[in-house]
Amino acid sequence: MEPGEASEAEAAGSVSAAQRRAEIRRRKLLMNSEDRMNRITGFTKIEPEIKAAALRRPTEPRFHLDLDRTEPWSSSSSSPRPSPFLSEASGLVSRSRGATPERRGSPVPDSEPLGGSLEDDIGGIRPKPRGERVSDDPSGSPRRGLQKYLSRFDDAMKLRGQMANEKPDQDGGSEPEEFDPFIIFRLTGSILLAVFVRVFVCTFLSIFAPFLTLELAYMGLSKYFPKVDKKPQTTVLTAALLLSGIPAEVINRSMDTYRRMGDVFADLCAYFFTFILSHEILLFIGSETP
Amino acid sequence: MAASYAWFLVLGSVFLVNLMKTLLPSISSFFSRLVQKDAEQESEMRSEVQEMKKEQLSISMMDEFARYARLERKINKMTDKLKTHVKSRTAGQAKMKWVVNIVFYILQAALMVSLIWKYYADPVTVVPSKWIAPVERLVAFPTGVAGGVGITCWLVVCNKVVSLGLHAVS
Repeated sequence: MEPGEASEAEAAGSVSAAQRRAEIRRRKLLMNSEDRMNRITGFTKIEPEIKAAALRRPTEPRFHLDLDRTEPWSSSSSSPRPSPFLSEASGLVSRSRGATPERRGSPVPDSEPLGGSLEDDIGGIRPKPRGERVSDDPSGSPRRGLQKYLSRFDDAMKLRGQMANEKPDQDGGSEPEEFDPFIIFRLTGSILLAVFVRVFVCTFLSIFAPFLTLELAYMGLSKYFPKVDKKPQTTVLTAALLLSGIPAEVINRSMDTYRRMGDVFADLCAYFFTFILSHEILLFIGSETP
Repeated sequence: MAASYAWFLVLGSVFLVNLMKTLLPSISSFFSRLVQKDAEQESEMRSEVQEMKKEQLSISMMDEFARYARLERKINKMTDKLKTHVKSRTAGQAKMKWVVNIVFYILQAALMVSLIWKYYADPVTVVPSKWIAPVERLVAFPTGVAGGVGITCWLVVCNKVVSLGLHAVS
C-alpha cells in the first residue's frame, strides 16, 4: 500500500471516528434536552430518582401525594411524578394533572412549608415505600393498606398545614370561643330557674328534677335558635385521632357530643351555684331580720 | 360544722386565681420591662439606622460610591447588632413569661391543696339532704355529711362559673 493511500485511509477512519463521536454527542444532547428543561423548571429532584429507581425497580409502583386528586387511588398508580416536558409520559401526566412545580414543596396548597421539616417529611414519604413490597398478587391488599396509610398521611399533612395557619390566630393557647345566643339563653334560664326553685320548689322535691326538665326543654328549643357555625378546631388530639385511623366523621360527631355535654355541664354548674348562692343570701337575710 | 362563710372564701379564692390567669400576659410583660433596662439602647439603634438610611437616600451611588458603600456597611453592621439585641430581648421575654407561668401554677396548686386540706372534713355549706337527692353523696364528697356540699364539688362549680363569667366580661 502506498503511503498516500494509507494516509487517506487514516483520514477517512479519523473522520468516521469524529463523525461517530459527533453523532454520539448529538444524541446525548437531544436526550438531555428534556432533562435540562426539567431542571430549569425545578423537576431536578424527581427525575434522577425516577430514572434511577426505574432502572432498579421497574415494576414497583411509585406513589405521590397529590392533594388535588379526586379519583380514588387505584392499583395502577405506578406513575412517577411527570414533568410537563415528558412527552413519553402522556399516560402518566393524567395522574397529576393538577400538580404544579410550586406544589412540590408543600403538602397543602394554601400553606407555606414549615421550614425544612415538611419537605423532609414529603421527601421521606414520596419515594418508594421500602418495607412495602408490591407483589404481583392480584388481591392487592398490601397495596390497599399502603394506599390507606398514604391517604391518612395526606390528611395528617393537611391538618398540620391547617394548624400552622391557625396558630397565629390563637393567642397563648386559649380558645376564643364565642358565646352564641343559645348558650346565653341557656345560662340565663338556668340561673332564673335556680332562684325560682330555691324560693318555691325545693321544699317539695329534689332540685335536680326541674333542672332535668329544663334541659329537655332546651333540647327541643335548640332548633329554633340560629346555629352558629363553629370552626372545627384542629388540635393535636384530632390529628392523632385521624392518624390512628378513626374516621373524621366519627371524630366530628364525638366532638359535637362532647360539646353538648359541656354545655349541659355549664348549665348544671350555673344552676347549682345560683341555688347555693340564693340559699346563702336568704339565710343571711333571714338571720339579719329579727 | 360548716364554717359560715367557707363557701365565700372558696369562691373568692377561685375568682382571684382565674383573674390572675387572665392577667398573666400583662404581668409577665411588666416584669420583662422591669428586668430589661436596655430598651432605650434599642430605640437609639433603631433611630440611628433610620437616620443613616435617610442619609443614604440623599447620596447618589454613582457620584459618591465610596461614601455610599461605607454608609451601607455601617447600616448593615448596625442592623445586625439590632437584630442580635432584639433576639436576646425576645428570648428574655419568653423566659420571663415561662417563669411567671410556672410560679403562678405552683401558687395555684398550693392554694387548691390548702383549701382541700382545710375543708376536707367540713362541708362549705349545708342544705337539707332531700334537696340534693339523689346525688347527695357525690355532692358531699369527701365530707360524708348528709346534705353538705363538699370542697371538691364546690371548687369545680366555682371554677366553671367564674371562668364563664370572666370569659363573658372579657
